[in-house]
Amino acid sequence: MITIDMLCYYSRLRYMNAMEKFTYAMLTLLFCVVSRSLAMAVLVLAVNGILTVKKGGIPFSRYWHYLMIPLAFLILSTLAVIVNISRTPFDAFAIPVGSYHLTASYASIYKGIQMILTALASVSCLYFLSFNTPMTDILSVLKKLRCPDLLVELMLLIYRYIFLLLGISFSISLSQDARLGNRDLKTSLRSFGAMASVLLIRAMTRSGALFDAMEARCYDGRLQVLEEQYPPKRKEILWILFFEIFLLILTIWSKIK
Amino acid sequence: MSETPILRAENIYYSYDNEKSHSLNGLSLEIFRGKKIAFMGANGSGKSTFFLCCNGINRPSKGTLYYCGEPYDYSRKGLLRLRSKVGIIFQDPDDQLFSASVYQEISFGILNLGVPTEEARREVEQVIDRLEITPFRHKPTHALSGGQKKQVSIADILVMHPDIIILDEPAAALDPKHTIMVNKIVDQLTQEGITVLMSTHDVNYALEWADEIVLLHEGQVLMHGSPLEVFTDKKILAQTNLAQPAVLQLFESLCKKGILDASLPLPRDLGTLEHYIENIQTSHNKEETDTCPQK
Repeated sequence: MITIDMLCYYSRLRYMNAMEKFTYAMLTLLFCVVSRSLAMAVLVLAVNGILTVKKGGIPFSRYWHYLMIPLAFLILSTLAVIVNISRTPFDAFAIPVGSYHLTASYASIYKGIQMILTALASVSCLYFLSFNTPMTDILSVLKKLRCPDLLVELMLLIYRYIFLLLGISFSISLSQDARLGNRDLKTSLRSFGAMASVLLIRAMTRSGALFDAMEARCYDGRLQVLEEQYPPKRKEILWILFFEIFLLILTIWSKIK
Repeated sequence: MSETPILRAENIYYSYDNEKSHSLNGLSLEIFRGKKIAFMGANGSGKSTFFLCCNGINRPSKGTLYYCGEPYDYSRKGLLRLRSKVGIIFQDPDDQLFSASVYQEISFGILNLGVPTEEARREVEQVIDRLEITPFRHKPTHALSGGQKKQVSIADILVMHPDIIILDEPAAALDPKHTIMVNKIVDQLTQEGITVLMSTHDVNYALEWADEIVLLHEGQVLMHGSPLEVFTDKKILAQTNLAQPAVLQLFESLCKKGILDASLPLPRDLGTLEHYIENIQTSHNKEETDTCPQK
């Protein structure tokens, strides 16, 4: 989780206009899901891979590693869709189990692969966004898209405080380790419970202190902040437009066919 | 004195636990514009509580605070006006930084003052440049070092251009490099005529830096005076568990041994003391060269 957060700060695409990246990721995701075509999925996977690894400079091994995480789930879940238990064997393969068959048809295998690739391509769209855009930039896009202020402000605070809480919990567990707090199951259960209760108390005091500090800076109920400005580039917009129109045509074509 | 104090506390009380015990116990104090004031005292003597009172976060249960002669107005509007004039930099930057982005963080205060966006942007850029935040302005706040967080938390307040800046133990947990940096910033502030209140445990720094020292003890002002007045009063120092600054200790022992003349004005920093010692050396040498030819 921490590494996933750090990646975007080192990405070379970080200073690209966030709205551009957001629009690209969302439109591509939409076309991917709507068309469900194999060709589209492969194309999107390839383009996102090139953008994130080549343009963004995220190490390929990292990117591959993060793509493999959902893949494991996808394979397991599509297996259930592909494989049937039936009295009559289908055309692809059939393993007899008593009077039944563990069987699948070519059509369902094709469908399964299509599903896996579509899902993976969709994930790659979201990865493109999150590997190349800091959270605060995504939030500013949400704000521009008229997402309710309350939600955006909550997300802003939660994002910041996740790291504070993680830091505190890390140092508490470190000091517990230093005093043999995790030597066996019993002590580690007790240590974990103690940490959880301390974390709650700390979180409460922190939130009180934060509110005081914000009040001290004339907080009036609205979290107004300025964003760093990365103006959109005409060339990038043209490329995105070109690519999305191409995907649109592909989608329409795959639906007509 | 005819000048009205910029900040005046009159017999204020504050309690965190419904008047069972008091963190501030009838504290009275006058602070004048443009002064550098060090607040000293043991942990729990009421420094932070008083600072929060100055900013209107804590409302004293008894007694009154005055800003430029006007009693504090605790209405919404009055508080906003007060807080735009009295800025406080908290001891732990993590209590103060609420955003993961440095830029957003600094812009928060000034936007709350109702400054138009373009002007706010200019001000934020200026303060980023001035406090040397540029090298890490694009980093997320959770990836900054303690000193860098402190720089950002100072920028948070500076950008609002307050008349009084309160620093709650700014040097706590800072490395020497950042301590020097913070001290430099504080010096610049006083040159601009900003009144600076600072709590510190560093007696040497307080002696050198401050115009006045306020010694707090159990929620009251034990002594308020010039650094030399406070640091030569051994009884008071013992009562608040403070050590005498090293310069004064050394000066005193040199005087006792007859090396230095006790009628010299008390030194406030190492440089002055060094100068005194240099002077004996040169006057000594002069005597030798004067006496030699006669022999």
